[in-house]
Amino acid sequence: MDYFKNIPLHMDFDGQHKAERLSRIIITLFGIVGLIWGYAIQQFSQTVYILASGFFLAGILTIPPWPMYRKKPLNWQPARNSDGTTSSKSKKKK
Amino acid sequence: MHTVLQRGNSILAYALSVLAFLTFCCFISTVFLNYTTNAEIKTIKVVVKNVPDFSALREKNDLGFLTVDLQTDLTHLFNWNVKQLFLYLTAEYETPNNVLNQVVLWDKIILRGENAILNFKNMNTKYYFWDDGNGLKGNKNITLTLSWNIIPNAGLLPNIFASGSHSFKFPVEYTSSRM
Repeated sequence: MDYFKNIPLHMDFDGQHKAERLSRIIITLFGIVGLIWGYAIQQFSQTVYILASGFFLAGILTIPPWPMYRKKPLNWQPARNSDGTTSSKSKKKK
Repeated sequence: MHTVLQRGNSILAYALSVLAFLTFCCFISTVFLNYTTNAEIKTIKVVVKNVPDFSALREKNDLGFLTVDLQTDLTHLFNWNVKQLFLYLTAEYETPNNVLNQVVLWDKIILRGENAILNFKNMNTKYYFWDDGNGLKGNKNITLTLSWNIIPNAGLLPNIFASGSHSFKFPVEYTSSRM
């Protein structure tokens, strides 16, 4: 059970930005290619299939929190006690 | 974008927006095309009878019988935004009762990929050519027109009239014998 709890599931802020940009680029690119190919062979269904494959590729690459989206963690300040002194034990960084 | 569900939602929404845009591009690429073409229509046998119309009030109405030659090539009408054509052959005429009568005599669905070169010889009509009175006997100007309705993937459903119609006249005498 601890093993599952320790799987990191989050993205950092920079990773979220990268994931969004990557998914937009992939879907747009597949859409453009699909439009050109569908027009070339005069089959709109091919356009839809190519866009759908772009959607699945973008889904695989950007929906799960891959380690590449966790490279710039925030450097949190150490937690303080109520009297204002820095606690010694919370040095853990993500 | 900070949970799996949010990211899934976001890229699904974006993909659907792109799909809508692509569909619009498909519509724009075909909306200005000219879909008219020529059709050759000829009537071979033209007979008019005066028989009771049991679907109406059992009055004796005029019933026309025709056989038609129809020749046209619709292959070039199909593109990536045409799923099927609905062809129909209409007869238009004027009677003392009505200024404009329109009767559909025959229709046909052509799916994309099917043979769209039509060459019918001496074809019977598919539907009865009833008049709502006695307007067919001796009528001098009946116009047959081939039209089609385009069923697209996206966009308008235009009704196109083929250039090339055929006018004929009905005989002045009723035919009483069986055909």
